[in-house]
Amino acid sequence: MRSGISVTTNPPDEPESAVDAGDSRSEVAELAARVAELVGSESWSADFGNAKVRVDRSQWFEAVEAARDGADLAFFSFLSAIDWSNDVAVGEPLDETVEERYEILVRLSSGRNNDSVTLSTDVPKNDARIPTLVDLFGGANWHEREAAEMFGIEFEGHPNLNRLYLTDEFEGHPLRKTYPLVSREIKPWPGMVDVEDMPSTENPEAEQAGSSEDEASNQQPAASSEVEAGSGERAAGSGSPEGDAQ
Amino acid sequence: MSQTLDPRAAAHVSEVAVSVELQTPGMTINIGPQHPSTHGVLRLVAELDGERIVNVEPVIGYMHRGYEKLSEVRTYPQITALVNRIDWVSGFANEIPLIVAVERLMEIEVPERAQSIRLILTELARISNHLVFLSSYPLELGASTPLMHALREREHVLELIEGVTGGRFHPNFNRIGGVKPAAGGGSTQKKVLQDLPKGFLAETRLAMEKVMAICDDLDSLVTGNEIFHARTKGVAIVPPDLALAYGVSGPNLRASGVAFDLRKHEDYLPYDKYDFDVAIGENGDCFDRFDVRLQEVRQAARIIGQAIDDIPSGPLQAKVPRVIKVPKGETYVRAENPKGEMGYYIVSEGGRIPYRLKIRTPSFSNLSILPWALKGLLVPDIIALLGSLDFVLGDVDR
Repeated sequence: MRSGISVTTNPPDEPESAVDAGDSRSEVAELAARVAELVGSESWSADFGNAKVRVDRSQWFEAVEAARDGADLAFFSFLSAIDWSNDVAVGEPLDETVEERYEILVRLSSGRNNDSVTLSTDVPKNDARIPTLVDLFGGANWHEREAAEMFGIEFEGHPNLNRLYLTDEFEGHPLRKTYPLVSREIKPWPGMVDVEDMPSTENPEAEQAGSSEDEASNQQPAASSEVEAGSGERAAGSGSPEGDAQ
Repeated sequence: MSQTLDPRAAAHVSEVAVSVELQTPGMTINIGPQHPSTHGVLRLVAELDGERIVNVEPVIGYMHRGYEKLSEVRTYPQITALVNRIDWVSGFANEIPLIVAVERLMEIEVPERAQSIRLILTELARISNHLVFLSSYPLELGASTPLMHALREREHVLELIEGVTGGRFHPNFNRIGGVKPAAGGGSTQKKVLQDLPKGFLAETRLAMEKVMAICDDLDSLVTGNEIFHARTKGVAIVPPDLALAYGVSGPNLRASGVAFDLRKHEDYLPYDKYDFDVAIGENGDCFDRFDVRLQEVRQAARIIGQAIDDIPSGPLQAKVPRVIKVPKGETYVRAENPKGEMGYYIVSEGGRIPYRLKIRTPSFSNLSILPWALKGLLVPDIIALLGSLDFVLGDVDR
């Protein structure tokens, strides 16, 4: 089971070090909790300043409508999707096995203040259908057309769900993780040399500690431990099963 | 006899005859994909009833380069070079939300000096972008003089950007944790004084005076011009609630009377240190969209004037690991780009490559209002509206 977002009914514990960010973080958490209550969801998160509320697919349209009207989120920022896939043709594969699904994201914002919330839901890959939001936001029209051709998701009730970017003859859904990047298959990208471990960067920590810069060697371990602390906290905050998302 | 000689009656008869013989059924015409007013390759399929527009269907995608897919095989520092090319008229501003998003996930505190330099260059990019708009828009409506004047001043602004970053359009200047040190400066903290070129502050001050002067010129050349008024006032009015629902952002949203500016609301750059006003329009017509941008150039020059007076000293770069690995997490960072809300939704799985990068570009949403806004207008209004939205096809198609 994947643990992409932290599923919790309580605000996540704030790290002690983040004094400056503390205020804005609790603001984001407060907003996420408020919107979650409005849309009748119990699972939300506010990590990295991203207020995210999970809703069930059957409640998608109603949840977006409730968030728009109840929390004054009248600005349609974007709609897109994430392909959670264990079979990856491009990029790095996931560390752990995930539940195969498309996650649909919609970002709504206020036109008055900095309130901004991501609503997200899952659709199974063998039944990738979801109601359209065109009746709520005119701007959803193009965003849904893009998500439809890129991921192969069907937006039910959409007025003209035809191709937006791609030609009519195009086959496949390019942003699926299983869709190969053909030019890369034919010729390995020269920039990959920076992506692969080079001899000098195989062990970044040792390399940095051995740097001639005094300041660098003093501060570098702190920086890397900060990163570790970040990911550790992330792991601790997540882990509830996706089935809880309602 | 007298009846047939009455010229009014004769005219009536001929009118009837014409309307019987010549039907005016709907006509569908293609505008573009190659047309000067489309700022690139945009095709409009317009259904007309005489001169009146019944329906317009924009056909986009001629410039689709698949940046979201390409980002899935690139490390974070490599993506910076890619996103410069999204909106090439304001390349520098494209980098900011991406870099800030990565820094937020990595919990990096960016040095004040780097933030200040980022802010100055972002505002220079805004001036450069708006000067292109302010000069090309009257040209599309038939006035060629402003183009010569405004582009001359824009050249000074581009030279400033080039002086700091080395690039006029694609600076690729931001680094995760700060900005790139000047050539020869090295990344060591002892040589940071070489970050801005010699005389940069004085030259910027001079350029801002010229920018202010060109704004006054444009005011007298364009905004007071009767022909310009006739072409733009009351044309293609976008009401505020509709603009919000379509995700129209930036100057286009503010022209509709919504006082929303991410520089005032978000903290991606230290805008709270400086005084500036948010220009808003009253009617949401083409004229307001022009006027709001003209005011924004003045405000941007005002911000730069304050910012160069107190650039904090200190390092240019925070200490970051040599190999950028972003902790597991998701975030969305948006910024007030010259064209509107630009944002990046990053999904990181803990590696050096994003698992998913969603790029939210302002022109895409701004353009999506076109079918609605053009209904019932006349054919020449297509040019008036297209120009006033200030989109770039690279920003629409990604």
